[in-house]
Amino acid sequence: MGEGGSLPTMDLMRSEPMQLARIIIPMESAHRTISYLGDLGLFQFKDLNSGKSPFQRTFATQIKRCGEMARKLRFFKVQMMKAGLLTLRSAYGSEISLDELEVKLGELEAELIEMNTNTEKLQRAYNELLEYKLVLQKAGDFFHHAQSSATAQQRESEEHHLVEGSMDSPLLLEQEMTTDISKQVKLGYVSGLVPRDKSMAFERILFRTTRGNVFLKQNVVEEHVVDPVQGEKVEKNVFVVFYSGERAKNKVLKICDAFGANRYPFTDDIGKRYQMITEVSGKLSELKTTIDVGTLHWSSAVQAIANQFEQWNNLVKKEKSIYHTLNALSFDVTKKCLVAEGWCPVFATTQIQKALQRATVDSNSQVGAIFEVLHTKESPPTYFRTNKFTSAFQEIVDAYGVAKYQEANPGLFTIVTFPFLFAVMFGDWGHGICLFLATLFLILREKKYSSQKLGDIMEMAFGGRYVIIMMSIFSIYTGFIYNEFFSVPFELFGRSAYDCRDPSCRDATTIGMIKVRETYPFGVDPIWHGTRSELPFLNSLKMKMSILLGVAQMNLGIVLSYFNAKFFQNDINIWYQFIPQMIFLNSLFGYLSLLIIVKWCTGSQADLYHVMIYMFLSPTDDLGENQLFWGQKYLQILLLLLALVAVPWMLIPKPILLKKQHEERHRGQAYAPLQSLDENIDSDSEYKSHDGHEEFEFSEVLVHQLIHTIEFVLGSVSNTASYLRLWALSLAHSELSSVFYEKVLLLAWGFDNVVILVIGIIVFIFATVGVLLVMETLSAFLHALRLHWVEFQNKFYEGDGYKFSPFSFALVSEEEED
Amino acid sequence: MGFFVTTLTFIVIGIIACLCTRVCCNKGPSANLFHLTLVITATVCCWMMWAIVYLAQMNPLIVPILSEGE
Repeated sequence: MGEGGSLPTMDLMRSEPMQLARIIIPMESAHRTISYLGDLGLFQFKDLNSGKSPFQRTFATQIKRCGEMARKLRFFKVQMMKAGLLTLRSAYGSEISLDELEVKLGELEAELIEMNTNTEKLQRAYNELLEYKLVLQKAGDFFHHAQSSATAQQRESEEHHLVEGSMDSPLLLEQEMTTDISKQVKLGYVSGLVPRDKSMAFERILFRTTRGNVFLKQNVVEEHVVDPVQGEKVEKNVFVVFYSGERAKNKVLKICDAFGANRYPFTDDIGKRYQMITEVSGKLSELKTTIDVGTLHWSSAVQAIANQFEQWNNLVKKEKSIYHTLNALSFDVTKKCLVAEGWCPVFATTQIQKALQRATVDSNSQVGAIFEVLHTKESPPTYFRTNKFTSAFQEIVDAYGVAKYQEANPGLFTIVTFPFLFAVMFGDWGHGICLFLATLFLILREKKYSSQKLGDIMEMAFGGRYVIIMMSIFSIYTGFIYNEFFSVPFELFGRSAYDCRDPSCRDATTIGMIKVRETYPFGVDPIWHGTRSELPFLNSLKMKMSILLGVAQMNLGIVLSYFNAKFFQNDINIWYQFIPQMIFLNSLFGYLSLLIIVKWCTGSQADLYHVMIYMFLSPTDDLGENQLFWGQKYLQILLLLLALVAVPWMLIPKPILLKKQHEERHRGQAYAPLQSLDENIDSDSEYKSHDGHEEFEFSEVLVHQLIHTIEFVLGSVSNTASYLRLWALSLAHSELSSVFYEKVLLLAWGFDNVVILVIGIIVFIFATVGVLLVMETLSAFLHALRLHWVEFQNKFYEGDGYKFSPFSFALVSEEEED
Repeated sequence: MGFFVTTLTFIVIGIIACLCTRVCCNKGPSANLFHLTLVITATVCCWMMWAIVYLAQMNPLIVPILSEGE
């Protein structure tokens, strides 16, 4: 890779130089070394055991252990959530080793499981006793009722019987008496509770199966009862079923079980019943105290766990990640040490070596770890050292594609041009101030919010707070330039340049005013707002501004491609790509920009559309009144020829030269240099695998270059037109803003009624915040992003690298937050 | 204030901003160059915006026609 040469290095311009390094660690200090490297967070380990399955790796058992511990911790977390406790983010606490922690976790888990099952059993028994008590109370009512009515009926029938019996013969009386005795079959009964929603079906099925030979009496229980089996509150009915015979009894029992009706024994003896009730009440209160004590014990155990949960969780996660990393190292059995290979930034070399030394000392190992740099043709990962301000912008660029190793980073310019283009589309200093205040609040509360867990949207807004604050600062600036404060202009920078033609101002609404003074010094003249010719003027201004800004940004992109070519010492790209691209873009659209500026400076009435189109259609024609400066016709012919020449210049020489280069490189392949004897076998085989015999297909390269040329040529027109979105969105913003101001606020003001004014203000605020501050911000953000990703970056950016992801505990704990 | 005077003002403001960043956050040559680039880019963008709007109003082809009832 070439160096910058004469140009000094700049932060964030190119990736940090990376190196492939190998570390040989003796076994005793392996765990500690990886732990210290994880703290440092600057080494990306390569997986040297990629061929092995997870179960074949050396430390699979350790990972299983960590997995078990993680499972136990998750169980504890569920218990903590049940108890409604939050985990405290306490990093302090006694140091504890993994083995001790494993034992402790096992003990605690067993304890908690035992407590949970005991509580469950006790609770079930408690609920059953509650139901029994209900049965005793309610069923007692039936019997009481039934008995009283039965005695009443019996008394009646006895009297009746006695009256009738005096007229009958004594023989019949005897027969009736005997049948009475034989009819005295014993009735059995079953009592219990059935869920109310099943009670109708229960009754029906009982009736059907026993052919109506049972008697069912139900009574509603008012409050909900906790079902012992399910543990939920259900509406239930107390029932008593009277049956006769063994068969009926079995049927009734089976039906009760099928319906989940819990049966409880019952005596019709009142005395016994009251005794049972008091007994059950006693047992209930006993159970309640036992359950309460159990719950108290459980919650204190869970609280003790909650205090240390975070620390244990982090320890387990850390250990798991260390073992995963150790699994990636190759195990050199003969030399009793582990070999690690990976990428690290060149500036981190001393830090890594210090960490290795510390690990050697701390683990009392005789042999130190060896750190050596390897040479390879593999492409290294890309690493930018960003701080909290620049990381958001770098993420925006990385979302499109991570920069190839050491190519120019568009993120550098994005820091300024992205908020600037946003502001061009958003320009209103009132809205800018609102955005600024909102993000200032986020930034001042930075520390608090960065440790909290925020919702998805808040997370994004908080992560992009520096982007948004830059956007708001530029919006305030462009708001002053467009002279819009919630769409109202102010005369802040001097007097307006326009005045009536004569003192009576008759013509102000027909022919218009004239420019009497100097141009308004900063921004758009305040007179324009609300005039009939406002839109033609502003449209012309903003469209031309978009073209000028677009051509400037695209030129910047092409210039960056020059710097890339210079850095990689790719002369072909400089002569046969950069120069024709510059010529083509500038002879067409650079010339258009020049015409725009000249027209503005001279105030000529030339029609630029006409000029540009006829430059192509009939370049030799006389320009007539569209002439802006002397020699324009000849200049146009020259530029047209240059543009025409630039196209084959971009297309043809590069593939031919690449082919020649390839042939030259491979002509000398027969004379390969001797491998130096110092390199050991591993790096030897790597070197060979990296230096593959590159295939060179001329047709492929030609087609690739053809696509690239067509893309550039057509793209120069479409990309320039694409910048017109700057005009479109800024027009939309100012129109919306002016509609909300005039049709809501001024309308409400015009009624002279306080209520309507208040309603008007509230609607105005909601409309401004919802439509302009949220929707327009997102919209302008998106379009500015698109302009960067497509129109700016396709001039020079390749973006096919991969990001440097070092082994770092900070990143591991962030990952597993979800 | 004419065009060139204001352009000069922008240049002066840009230079002052560069000096301020050099004084406030001097963190080594590569970081300094980075800050310089950012300040220059911002100054150029702001100047371009102002210059475009100013030039467009210097010799206007359209004049403001007030709407009725103003």
